[in-house]
Amino acid sequence: MDDAKNKTSLKARIQKLGTALSGMVMPNIAAIIAWGLITAIFMAEGWFPNKQIAELIGPMLNYLLPLLIGYVGGRMVYEERGAVVGAIATIGVVVGSQVPMFLGAMIMGPLGGWCIKKLDSIFQDKVRSGLEMIYNNFTSGIMGMLLAIVGVYVVNPVVNTGSMLMGEGVDWIISVHLLPLANIFIEPAKVLFLNNAIGNGILVPLGIQQAASAGKSVLFLLESNPGPGLGVLLAFTFFGKGNAKGSAPGAAFIQFIGGIHEVYFPYILMKPAMFLAVIAGGVTGTFTFQMFGAGLKAAASPGSIIAILAMTPKGSYLGVLAGVATGAVVSFIIAAIILKHDRSTADEFEAKQQEMAQMKAESKGKETPTNLAPADFSGIKKIIFACDAGMGSSAMGASLLRDKIKKADITDVSVTNTAVSRLQDEPDLLVVTQVELAERAAQKTPSAVHVQVGNFLNSPRYDEIIARLKTETLINEETGVEPKATTGSELELSNIKEINFIRHDQNIGTSTMAVSLFKDSLHKAGKKVPVKAVRLDELVDSSDHLVIVTKEAKKNLDIRYTKVQVLVVSDLLTDEKLAQIIAGLA
Amino acid sequence: MELKENMILLDQAPATKKEAIRLAGELLVKEGCVDERYIDSMIKRNEDVSTYMGNFIAIPHGTDEGKRFIKKTGISVVQVPLGVDFSNDEQVENLVTVVFGIAGANNEHLELLSQIALYCSDVSNVAKLADATTKAEIINLLKEVG
Repeated sequence: MDDAKNKTSLKARIQKLGTALSGMVMPNIAAIIAWGLITAIFMAEGWFPNKQIAELIGPMLNYLLPLLIGYVGGRMVYEERGAVVGAIATIGVVVGSQVPMFLGAMIMGPLGGWCIKKLDSIFQDKVRSGLEMIYNNFTSGIMGMLLAIVGVYVVNPVVNTGSMLMGEGVDWIISVHLLPLANIFIEPAKVLFLNNAIGNGILVPLGIQQAASAGKSVLFLLESNPGPGLGVLLAFTFFGKGNAKGSAPGAAFIQFIGGIHEVYFPYILMKPAMFLAVIAGGVTGTFTFQMFGAGLKAAASPGSIIAILAMTPKGSYLGVLAGVATGAVVSFIIAAIILKHDRSTADEFEAKQQEMAQMKAESKGKETPTNLAPADFSGIKKIIFACDAGMGSSAMGASLLRDKIKKADITDVSVTNTAVSRLQDEPDLLVVTQVELAERAAQKTPSAVHVQVGNFLNSPRYDEIIARLKTETLINEETGVEPKATTGSELELSNIKEINFIRHDQNIGTSTMAVSLFKDSLHKAGKKVPVKAVRLDELVDSSDHLVIVTKEAKKNLDIRYTKVQVLVVSDLLTDEKLAQIIAGLA
Repeated sequence: MELKENMILLDQAPATKKEAIRLAGELLVKEGCVDERYIDSMIKRNEDVSTYMGNFIAIPHGTDEGKRFIKKTGISVVQVPLGVDFSNDEQVENLVTVVFGIAGANNEHLELLSQIALYCSDVSNVAKLADATTKAEIINLLKEVG
């Protein structure tokens, strides 16, 4: 039992890591495609060689892409500040590196974000107001500097050594003639963006030697074989779900025809089990190449099927195509099995979601009074209002609560708003959402305290939150106003058949709202008396009508009507006499 | 940002909440704040999660996805003195007399929105907005805050 438990938590952790890695790459796919297209079209061996444009290739690969990845990686941890520090830290591993530092960026970006987040959590409360800008810029700047230096001296050598070892592994496998097994190293290395290091650094130089003597070399095919990646993307196209499914066909086209293998890497990172699929596909493909004695005349770069066929010597076409095809088929089958297996658990997840939705529908419209009871409010330092877009509702709620907190003299709690999708889990956090979004918010921030509100503007939750923050004990709200016997006693309420508010040109809105509020209060009190807003000349002069008016309107009323009962209030919406009337009605 | 007169519509009588949202959205389109398509996103957002705020006001705005249709920040006001029901539930009445259409880019709208929130947290203030007979009156009422 224990063993199984550990397994799932390990699986969950690997999955989380994979999601994080692909989360860093996915937003940057556009930059990767831009780089890939420039490379494919303008490089010396490209379709339209152009020396000047080709100068972009190196810097884009070595600087732009890793920095973008580092930036996004930092942002995942700590928003804008984390992003900037992540990017600064990344440059430390990028400069002076022998290989494109994607892996290094994936380490330094989140690390940078995490470091500045920790630092802020220690110091930010202690910064004197007015000095925030200086604090913010200098802490990020200094932290970034330190991390960049650490990158140069520590992370850079480690990653470089790692990729060197990877290369030596491939080298050794070739030397002992177990070529298909080389793909066990090559495929994972590719996905970690070491494809160019391995392709151009090891395989191509060795391949050129072989080709010089034999006229062709199979080594050119090891890394550039588009089959395994194609298989995975096709599997996502047919059996994937959501975003991944939708984007997979386009990615397959870019990868197979365009030769930009990078587009499929995030799909692997998303589901690390997919490594098995590409490795098996790669091994099968290489094995097939060897069986047919296939090879290429020169390096096919980029690894597009077109470039590969262009480099295929006469007589090798069958072998090359067979290797690509078997690679694709094998990786497709394994990827499909992985996705299918995954889907069963996904279905369960969906079923559970539906169940939750049903429960929610049943409880809709009611703000459960026990909402706040079980939560622990001690130590709450930060309150975040979350809504779908972070644009309106949450901003309103946040400003109201901020105002209330200020008035309650609570000083050490901050109130902000954001979109649910941008929520980040952290300790001492209170998240306020609408009922409909509660589930998503809870998923995003499992360790936070959650409060749901129905009405953002007048939710009783706000006062409860304030009360809890102040005393950390729930104050039982007394909702009903105690009827006072004194007022309204002159009215004969027991035989009232209809209640009227007077509508005139200056209070159309108010009269609408007064009717609605009064109806609502009646409904809550379980009473049914018709309530209407009428023009002064539409009134029925009868003693079973109660007319609720302000002092100003009372004068006009008295001139025309004599029999109706009249209640004069100072405010049609909030006067407490209204509650007494409701209590007195039959 | 400030509220402008041409962003206000007085004395409207939309029959449905959809129509009310459309009125607020069209003001935003007319002033060049958003693309036509933003209105659909506002309606969708209100179907997903109601933008009814309590106290007779609603603040329809787009979904997260709809943000790309925003050209510049803007807030529109549609006054519905006779009220329009924003509830999705037959049993519940969520009457709205003032609709604030919102297109927020770069959080520029937050200041005005928080003014609106603070002001409208008192239902008597909403009544003043709902009773206003000129656009200048609405602008002045909202200025009072803060």
